[in-house]
Amino acid sequence: MTLDTISNCQLQCPEWCFHALKKGDSDQEEIVPSKKSAILVDGVVLNGPTTDAKAGEKFVEEACRLIMEEVVLKATDVNEKVCEWRPPEQLKQLVDLELRDKGEPHHRLLELCQDVIHYSVKTNHPRFFNQLYAGLDYYALVARFMTEALNPSIYTYEVSPVFLLVEEAILKKMIEFVGWKEGDGIFNPGGSVSNMYAIHLARYKYFPEIKEKGLSGLPRLIFFTSAECHYSMKKAASFLGIGTENVCFVETDGRGRMIPAELEKQIWQARKQLLDYIKANVFIAREGMALVPCCVPAQPSPDTCFLKRLSFTLQDDVEVIMGAAPFLVCATSGTTVLGAFDPLDEIADICERHDLWLHVDASWGGSALMSRKHRTLLHGIHRKYFWFAYKKSKPERFILIAASCAYAQTCYELKSKVQCSPKVAPAIKERMMKKGSLMLGYQPHRGKVNFFRQVVISPQVSREDMDFLLDEIDLLGKDM
Amino acid sequence: MRWGTQAGQGVTPALLTDFILMADSKALPALDEDPVAVEALLRDVFGIVVEEAIRKGTNASEKVCEWKEPEELKQLLDLELRRCGESREQILERCRAVIRYSVKTGHPRFFNQLFSGMDPHALAGRIITESLNTSPYTYEIAPVFVLMEEEVLKQLRALVGWDSGDGVFCPGGSISNMYAVNLARYQRYPDCKQRGLRALPPLALFSSEECHYSIKKGAAFLGLGTDSVRVVKADESGRMIPEDLERQISLAEAEGAVPFLVSATSGTTVLGAFDPLDAIANVCQRHGLWLHVDAAWGGSVLLSRTHRHLLDGIQRVDSVAWNPHKLLTAGLQCSALLLRDTTNLLKRCHGSQASYLFQQDKFYDVALDTGDKVVQCGRRVDCLKLWLMWKAQGGQGLERRVDRAFALARYLVEEIKKREGFELVMEPEFVNVCFWFVPPSLRGKQESPDYMERLSKVAPVLKERMVKEGSMMIGYQPRGGQGNFFRMVVANPAQTRADMDFLLSELERLGQDL
Repeated sequence: MTLDTISNCQLQCPEWCFHALKKGDSDQEEIVPSKKSAILVDGVVLNGPTTDAKAGEKFVEEACRLIMEEVVLKATDVNEKVCEWRPPEQLKQLVDLELRDKGEPHHRLLELCQDVIHYSVKTNHPRFFNQLYAGLDYYALVARFMTEALNPSIYTYEVSPVFLLVEEAILKKMIEFVGWKEGDGIFNPGGSVSNMYAIHLARYKYFPEIKEKGLSGLPRLIFFTSAECHYSMKKAASFLGIGTENVCFVETDGRGRMIPAELEKQIWQARKQLLDYIKANVFIAREGMALVPCCVPAQPSPDTCFLKRLSFTLQDDVEVIMGAAPFLVCATSGTTVLGAFDPLDEIADICERHDLWLHVDASWGGSALMSRKHRTLLHGIHRKYFWFAYKKSKPERFILIAASCAYAQTCYELKSKVQCSPKVAPAIKERMMKKGSLMLGYQPHRGKVNFFRQVVISPQVSREDMDFLLDEIDLLGKDM
Repeated sequence: MRWGTQAGQGVTPALLTDFILMADSKALPALDEDPVAVEALLRDVFGIVVEEAIRKGTNASEKVCEWKEPEELKQLLDLELRRCGESREQILERCRAVIRYSVKTGHPRFFNQLFSGMDPHALAGRIITESLNTSPYTYEIAPVFVLMEEEVLKQLRALVGWDSGDGVFCPGGSISNMYAVNLARYQRYPDCKQRGLRALPPLALFSSEECHYSIKKGAAFLGLGTDSVRVVKADESGRMIPEDLERQISLAEAEGAVPFLVSATSGTTVLGAFDPLDAIANVCQRHGLWLHVDAAWGGSVLLSRTHRHLLDGIQRVDSVAWNPHKLLTAGLQCSALLLRDTTNLLKRCHGSQASYLFQQDKFYDVALDTGDKVVQCGRRVDCLKLWLMWKAQGGQGLERRVDRAFALARYLVEEIKKREGFELVMEPEFVNVCFWFVPPSLRGKQESPDYMERLSKVAPVLKERMVKEGSMMIGYQPRGGQGNFFRMVVANPAQTRADMDFLLSELERLGQDL
């Protein structure tokens, strides 16, 4: 078979082909010499696949065995360590991270996998309490393996028929739990992005021109959120071009819940600001160029449409108002530190009165909807314009061992001889990590010095682990 | 610990007993108590995955897809989520069904997207990532992955030509592009972070007419508005014309907008064109604009000494988006944003110093914590699969793959030229081979006034036939005044000459009656 049009040479030598492939390959690539004549194009031999499928499969199988032994089966074993702490410089020596020109052999790759697992924190461990995720659900895990093996992208039915329908089914179920008969939704890469979507959608709803024209020249969009909200609200404000100074933080009560009266107060304040400005400064040009004062309703009116109409009428004629246009309130169901649930019904009342989009960041607390006993914490979530950001990207379930979901998260300070010193928690954290017995987060919060935040998620956690938690902290801090 | 309901009332004794009973010393029942059952489940599913998704899914003699209409598929899958759990046998059946009806993107004849194939080492890396289930926001939580991400990004930057810099993995190329725009905006107007865009003059960014649609989506999402994206003309090969870029910049300035960023593309989505980076960098330098390169598709060419000249000038740019999940088959998602910046711009732009995550009094150097570099909080570990694959293949092995893709594409181009009924849209620079299949009834009829219109109808029909047969999948699209043409993408390292031949023969077979 000749290919005259190809500018490079042609080969008719199977042995040559075999040798060319063998040279320089790592020992796992056992290429079988091809029976057909080889073709050389641009210096590349084109015949048969470049890798041995069998060797590849074998590697995947062995990696799975490793995972089974080191991660899955050990996951529930409290005698194993939660973490294998090493300072960064030392870890760089222990795990050969460098990427080189040559590939490594099969057994060495498995060793590397073993190292990666060994020095990684075991977030499945019953004593891993550090974050708002933990534990291991086996069914979710196998589904994740399947997803990886199929490597889909869910943009079209054509390329991803099953996953598209599955996503639809799950979202429908979740919408039911919220209490809606119908609705829409999507899975996002994390709660922060879900929150961003909500803000973006709300502003598009009220000002659809934003999509093409952007924010430059629009009234000052502001949104309201609790002082205990997740920091993604601030990040969202910057990323979306709204600006962090246009986020109003509403005061919370002693339990970390947004105070509805405060919210209402802040909304009126924002609107009044705008209307005062208009009264004082704004005139509308009519045909013939005579300027007339702008008519403003005597009472501050919660009419967003009025504001919108006004701003765009004025845009062409006079300088655009720099007053504030509220458009969204973000309530939190399950705050990050205290696990508080904002009073959704009351907040919904306010949003209805002022025609504001109400978004609920229920990334953390949303799962409480699955419990008939505890879903009252999110009462009111079905009210108009609610949106629901729900963390589902990792396998997690709630185990409720306290009086309410809010108390699945408990915050307490270690009482020691040095009362309320901020240095206690970090020191104990260091000790627990170096020992590898436990992992628990701490933070300062609203004037209080560092305290621990215990979170219970994993279905593998038991009452004994709770006892252990307190005993261990006691032990680690004995000499303080 | 205080106990109470949300209304602040005390808990009745009966309720308290309930809870204590629930909090018995044993963990929740079901699998958790039985390591044998756990192992059995994992082994069974794994067996199904290996057989159905890996072995069959990458086998040329199996189908690429098992087409079903949506309503029928809903019936077959029985998607409803019920209150009661199902038996193990049922769960295993479901796994089989999901795999059966999913498109086999690892199949040698899946040519539909800019990703295809399955690398076993990357797959192993992905499975390990899933089982370790963590987020790389702090060294404390993910020590290995924080260091590993640093190392991988360093390697990628070295290939761009930078021996320092910054970067992060993002959930996809669209987000990487958005980051670049956000960073450029912040660098020009740091106030924007607090004050927002209304405090700024209208901004303008520039990209070619062949650019990925994420640039427009990004502009809307970031609050700039799609109108702020000025479209620069491309030549007949799909490459941005630097002179037109200069013209667009002047136009924008005349309108009172402030240009701040140019997004060049290395490897456009349809044609696989590479914008002339050196010339564009000259324009950007003259005007003080941030130059971002969307190299999501073409970035991997940097691994090939033979072909990297296509990205000449890339070391002069400010940011690069590069998706190893495309040409390198690292597996979705894997998208790196690389920056030349060494002033901690990422952290300054995105940081919010959340006190519950980034405590400054930790017992290790908190400069390692990456969380404030990103807009996400929880983030997926995307570096392990790329790292493990690189360890297995070595840079040389990856280079061989890229070179091979080019060579196979070249082979296909020559075959197309030889065969009757196939017409190239243009001579490709990359591994996107765009062509028309001209069915027998239309051959020789180019002069006919409705030729393009009739030719345009061919691709959708052939696509439907190939999908229903499950023999292969290839994408098509119109472009400008040109009717629908096929876009062949050579990316899968398991593809052979035989697959190229098959593509052409199968189109001939499916379209012989048209």
